[in-house]
Amino acid sequence: MAPTAKSFGKVLRERRLACGFGLREFAQLVGVSSTYISQLEQENIDPPTAERAAKMAEILRENADEWIALAGRVPDDLEGIIQKEPIGMPALLREAKGLTAAQLQKLAEQAKVMKGENS
Amino acid sequence: MNERFSLVDRQVPYLHEKQIEREARFILDQYELKFERKVTAPVPLEKITEFQLQLTLEFKDMKSLFPFADVHGAIWFKEGIIGIDQSLNPDENPSMLGRYHFTLAHELGHWCLHRQHYKENPNQPMLFDDGVRVPDVVCRSSERKKPVEWQADAFAANLLMPKPLVIQAWAEHHDGDDQPAEMATLRPANADKVFSLRGRLATTAEERDAAIKEHYAAPFAERFSVSKEAMRIRLEELKLFVENRPRLLF
Repeated sequence: MAPTAKSFGKVLRERRLACGFGLREFAQLVGVSSTYISQLEQENIDPPTAERAAKMAEILRENADEWIALAGRVPDDLEGIIQKEPIGMPALLREAKGLTAAQLQKLAEQAKVMKGENS
Repeated sequence: MNERFSLVDRQVPYLHEKQIEREARFILDQYELKFERKVTAPVPLEKITEFQLQLTLEFKDMKSLFPFADVHGAIWFKEGIIGIDQSLNPDENPSMLGRYHFTLAHELGHWCLHRQHYKENPNQPMLFDDGVRVPDVVCRSSERKKPVEWQADAFAANLLMPKPLVIQAWAEHHDGDDQPAEMATLRPANADKVFSLRGRLATTAEERDAAIKEHYAAPFAERFSVSKEAMRIRLEELKLFVENRPRLLF
């Protein structure tokens, strides 16, 4: 699914239905109440935590990071990653800001290769 | 939210029971065609709602929307939304499973039977304080049944407990015998039992009969995922309780 300006609740309902999950069935898979899922879809409550957004994305075969961002959250592991490299990581992120999705993808691939060389 | 919003009294055209039965049967036939699967008990109501009729199912806090009325279901025709009071959510209140199903089927009844009428005769639009449109029909548990509600109830009974499936379940339960049960036999068989009817002791003969029938209807209620009361009423409609069965000479 492409990044979208749509709200979390609307995207959730669209994707849940597209994947053929009933409201109560989906709630059961996520491990939450169906009233909660319904309230999310109606946008009566705040979007879910990063962990729950990732779980929903996994069930719906979506990109977890994208869904975490859609929920207005930051992936739980990022805080630890930045704290481990408090100078290099923020600098890298600032430099990478403004790159296109394709450029970011290329950068990520290069980082992967470099990590492989280190190990 | 003012109580007057829930008091829209709508006169809908008369529908014969047979017409309502046909409408419910049509929905089940369409389900079988669309999903290439026979309908069995319990009827897949949520799938019919979300994936066949493509309506939006929402749990709502009806008490906050309608503080002065005991609303358990509502429908917004234009938006295609069915709202069910969250107190009926069976995931949170498993004892409400039957009432949840009946309420949802009842709202589907409004959708199938009444949406054209509402489209042609729209309500004066009314809004809640937050700008959300007030539903076209609100269904309260404690109101005298108007034709619009009676028709939706009849539809719900036919959708959730289709005659052929009930007769089949009845026959299976009685080793292939689809004959009605005799109250003249059931009463003495239950003479020593104390029955309560919806939370209070069944004292009058009528209440006791209803309680005996609901006790007898319990396995069917479970199979069709409806309340014992709804099942008893359906079995009565289908004349599966009689005073005496006709005696055969041979």
